Amino acid sequence: MSGYYFKADGLSVGYNGMPVVSKLDFGIEKGKILSLIGPNGAGKSTVLKSIARQLSVVAGCVYLDDANLLEMSAKEVSTKMAVLLTERLRGEMMTCGDVVGTGRYPYTGYFGVLGEEDKRAVKNAMELVKVADLMDRDFSEISDGQRQRVMLARAIAQDPEIIILDEPTSFLDIRHKLEFLSVVEKMKEEKNVTVIMSMHELDLAGKISDRILCLKGEYADRFGTPEEVMEKEYIRELFGIDEEMKAFAEQKGIKII
Amino acid sequence: MEQKRRIRYIISFLILILGIGLFFVLNICIGSVKISLSDVLSSFTGKEVGETVRSIIMNIRFPRTAAVFILGGALALSGYLLQTFFHNPIAGPFVLGISSGAKMCVALLMVFLLGHSVKMNSASLILAAFFGSMISMGFVLLMTRKIHSMSMLVVCGVMIGYICSAITEIIITFASDADIVNLHNWSRGSFSGMTWDQVKVMAVVVAAAFVVVFLLSKQLDAYNLGDSYAKNMGVNVSFLRIMIVILSGVLSACIVAFAGPISFVGVAAPHLIKKMFGTVKPILMIPACFLGGSLFCLFCDLLARNLFAPSELNISTVTAIFGAPVVIVILQSGKREKKR
Repeated sequence: MSGYYFKADGLSVGYNGMPVVSKLDFGIEKGKILSLIGPNGAGKSTVLKSIARQLSVVAGCVYLDDANLLEMSAKEVSTKMAVLLTERLRGEMMTCGDVVGTGRYPYTGYFGVLGEEDKRAVKNAMELVKVADLMDRDFSEISDGQRQRVMLARAIAQDPEIIILDEPTSFLDIRHKLEFLSVVEKMKEEKNVTVIMSMHELDLAGKISDRILCLKGEYADRFGTPEEVMEKEYIRELFGIDEEMKAFAEQKGIKII
Repeated sequence: MEQKRRIRYIISFLILILGIGLFFVLNICIGSVKISLSDVLSSFTGKEVGETVRSIIMNIRFPRTAAVFILGGALALSGYLLQTFFHNPIAGPFVLGISSGAKMCVALLMVFLLGHSVKMNSASLILAAFFGSMISMGFVLLMTRKIHSMSMLVVCGVMIGYICSAITEIIITFASDADIVNLHNWSRGSFSGMTWDQVKVMAVVVAAAFVVVFLLSKQLDAYNLGDSYAKNMGVNVSFLRIMIVILSGVLSACIVAFAGPISFVGVAAPHLIKKMFGTVKPILMIPACFLGGSLFCLFCDLLARNLFAPSELNISTVTAIFGAPVVIVILQSGKREKKR
């Protein structure tokens, strides 16, 4: 398993020591995109939260650049890893610029005042994600699509090596989905950032990802390139699509992948 | 934009400081005996003034006003910490029953000590109040495990407050006659009868707590965004939570030990300050809330002393009249946000 930048080794994750998903082995090279797919409740968020050290791991190890992620100091992790979770960021009375500025937190001094370099990083991140015009807008007054992009800018401002995204595109319309993913792609290309994310849109996941991990309750099912994983028969099985649903989908011409 | 914001902060701070200066002087000058500004100035500069006037200024009004300044600030800061902790704009030491818990323990200690004719000292009162506030806080924390709604949390806090007040009433009923007058005044909240010794103790405790809170401002800033984002930014959230609970407990304990429970300042002052500054940044909010609470209390104490002179109102009576409407406004705007 060498060559992986991020590596999970016999990872079991869950709540209060009870595993939800057990014995995960997967990894991803630097500057590549790994997507987690699977039915609702299969443990995608649990895996991501554990990797992001929001949840304590039940068993196993996670490595970042061959160093044990679970033993790193919180500060060290904060400069290497950014997250965009489904938990809403409470941006009370904050402008979008303020929100992106919070990404600079690990780099600011004891009182967290933004310096010139931090302000430049905020500006660059917002320009990269094309939200520079939202700089002075109130964070609570922008649309969902704009909010996700501002949050992505915040993650970029954190200057991470790896970004964890939990269902980043779920509530966006198709235009904003494409816009969001194009920025993720750009980040990967320009900054060599590694991305691990969960997705429900199989077609998009198949196109943008370099690796896909399929979660199916309790254990990981398949792990490989999109070509290896995205077989019609297999996806139907993964999501538990029975004959009746399949017939319905075919009758209406609905493409599952 | 940034320039505009900076100007707004500076103007807001100026208003607060000038307001405090103004009311500080008014509090010293106005009362049953009117004292002219020149008398106040000359007694500070050590010039010749009448002995009575000097005594009123230096032994009664000045220590009292200083106490109002310190405790008012502590009250608002304690409320601000609790609001941050619960991500809830109507949390506060009085609303959550924390003041009442502190009051109960202080009343117990007072009755016990008076019964054994031991003299009370400030430290033991603060310790008792801290112990009581931690008991109430413990109950509130237990309940938040099951309750997540902002208004239910407050209802539970109010209930805890009632239970503690009932126990306090029982204690007072069994206290010997001579103690009752003293206890009764204090248990409703009053700044009267502050001595310089008390002011010194509260100044030290509140200043220490203030410094620690201020040193935590960066972490509080991250905590404001939500737990998972704070964790991602490298904040030790559980440690921070413990610190907030202890600090808000120390601050409310200090207030209750010296002035009894005072209602609504802890909720109203931080809210008004937030609106005035247009930000929730802790590095600004911490000093601003302190000043705002001081100003609010200086204003209310001035009214409490003089509105129906010579009889004095309880400070809570006045703070409730100005503070409770603010809570109602917050509750209504909270509903609107949820609908959106």
